[in-house]
Amino acid sequence: MPETARLGLPNLGLGLGLRSVHFSHILEHWPEVDWFEVISENFMDSQGRPRRIVEQIAERYPVVMHGVSLSIGSTDPLNFDYLRKLKSLAESIAPKWVSDHICWTGVAAKNTHDLLPIPFTEETLQHVIERVHVVQDYMERPLVLENPSSYVEFQGSTMGEAEFISRLADETGCGLLLDVNNVYVSSFNHDLDPAEFIRAVPHDRIVQFHLAGHTNYTTHLIDTHDGHVIDPVWELYHLAHQLTGGVSTLLEWDASIPPFPELHEEVLKAKHFMKKHLPAARSTESTSMAADMGEESSPHPLHYVSAEVE
Amino acid sequence: MKHNLPNPAAVQSWPDLSVVQRWFQSVVTHPDGVEAGVESPEASELVPLTRGELEVMITRSKRVSARDRIAIYANAYYARLLECIGESYPVLKQTLGEEAFNGLAFGYLQHYPSRSYTLGHLGDRFADYLNETRPDKTDDGGADGERAPAWPDFLIDLAKLEWTIALVYDGPGIEETPTLSAEQIGSITADTWPQIGLRTVPCLHLLKLNFPLNIYYTEVRKATDGAIPPLPAAKESYIAVTRRDYIVRRHDLSPLQYLLLQALQNGATLDDAIANAAANNELSEEALVVALTQSFSDWTRMKFFETVVYPEFMG
Repeated sequence: MPETARLGLPNLGLGLGLRSVHFSHILEHWPEVDWFEVISENFMDSQGRPRRIVEQIAERYPVVMHGVSLSIGSTDPLNFDYLRKLKSLAESIAPKWVSDHICWTGVAAKNTHDLLPIPFTEETLQHVIERVHVVQDYMERPLVLENPSSYVEFQGSTMGEAEFISRLADETGCGLLLDVNNVYVSSFNHDLDPAEFIRAVPHDRIVQFHLAGHTNYTTHLIDTHDGHVIDPVWELYHLAHQLTGGVSTLLEWDASIPPFPELHEEVLKAKHFMKKHLPAARSTESTSMAADMGEESSPHPLHYVSAEVE
Repeated sequence: MKHNLPNPAAVQSWPDLSVVQRWFQSVVTHPDGVEAGVESPEASELVPLTRGELEVMITRSKRVSARDRIAIYANAYYARLLECIGESYPVLKQTLGEEAFNGLAFGYLQHYPSRSYTLGHLGDRFADYLNETRPDKTDDGGADGERAPAWPDFLIDLAKLEWTIALVYDGPGIEETPTLSAEQIGSITADTWPQIGLRTVPCLHLLKLNFPLNIYYTEVRKATDGAIPPLPAAKESYIAVTRRDYIVRRHDLSPLQYLLLQALQNGATLDDAIANAAANNELSEEALVVALTQSFSDWTRMKFFETVVYPEFMG
């Protein structure tokens, strides 16, 4: 597989998020998957089966650590106990890189376990830059940071998200995880053009893409990670692929997770599609179907690993 | 790059990031929703607004008001964490039904909001919370000691069992370390025997409960249709929860076995542990010997002990 230099990091191909419901299947079948992304917090404290499994998987596949609790944008102090465990896990499973989100998860010592939005101001930018420097020094590796889906914009913002991300990457040397679905969701929610966003971020900093499904509530979209990638997101992915030359890509599925063979089928289809259509353009007409307007789904960035009991 | 234009008036008076974050968190985590959150003392102290003034902080989109946009975060906060607590306590949730379980968990989240980077700790005080808020609590703060174990005790015990299972699943284990074999125990000389202790493995947790929950737990887990088996009558029960080959194992214990293992876990010599357990049951000496021999044989097979602790190392 050709290596694309993005902070010197390789293009790993098409990967899957490691989810606990698939542990047994993976250990039994060792499916053909280019690489796995693992949620750092699900393994960093584990002294049981999850930790053993992630170590076994890291022996057989390239892995990337993806966190949800760094809270790089929070005004609470950085949690060095967390960073110590993050670094220890990284030393144990040797991920190709370590990523998290451009967000905050809580203040006043509380954790909402959500990826909360930041106002895009000079103050926020300087705050996040300082913290990224501290984390990168501590971790002794570049951080890779993802654009989260967002549902609000702040009145006090003085720049757009793409400018914020670009300046953050320039100032800190961090890598970027471009979540193409999040670009689509946020742009829809904020009446912006997702293609403009993708053109505006620094392409040489992008080391990974995320692809996922979302839920369409007509007036707004929610990043639910519970279904297929829709065609407009594939189109944006195509654009991003052209602009970057192609980078490691991960298919996320975090709610209503299908059995592994079904998910794997989706990956193989995506792989086939990419091989056939990239970098050539793909014409498409379909868009996401409006969801049942009953109870609204929640954004679902996290999940809990349940115990296995005899 | 085009983005939505800054609002000069808002930018001029925009609060510090720390204020914005504390305000946002207090609004989206308010149990009574966004409007109550905006007008709560906690939020008002940071950014004084009425419920109609949310656009001072949050923009509206073409299709969605500022209120409805921030409500996406507010709705998600409890929905997501209730789901996670439910995954920590699946049998308790099935027993209570989703609505009643979520009602308790909703109160719990307000009383003990998460302060950890990991969801693995989210439910760690749920049994405490159920005890602190039990409806039959007496005025002095404790449960009525005279009362027979009742429904709240059943729920608290079930929460304790499920949390113990979660702890054992992801806590320290013995998969990569040696444990004490029957042969090693057999090789201990008779004169040393009374003075030694046996260190239990780090994953062994002992529970004393008011109800026979081990069987109940198994029945609920096995029920594929979500049916709840009849609730068992109150009766003290004792369970050892441990882990072998990364799977959590539950073993019923007799009162004698529980006392013995508890004493060993607390660092007693075998002599003292056996004497203590024997004093608290009515077995004949002969029956006691048979019971103990069988127990130690089972426990070494089930990997309950890590090492022998010799007298010079006893506390």
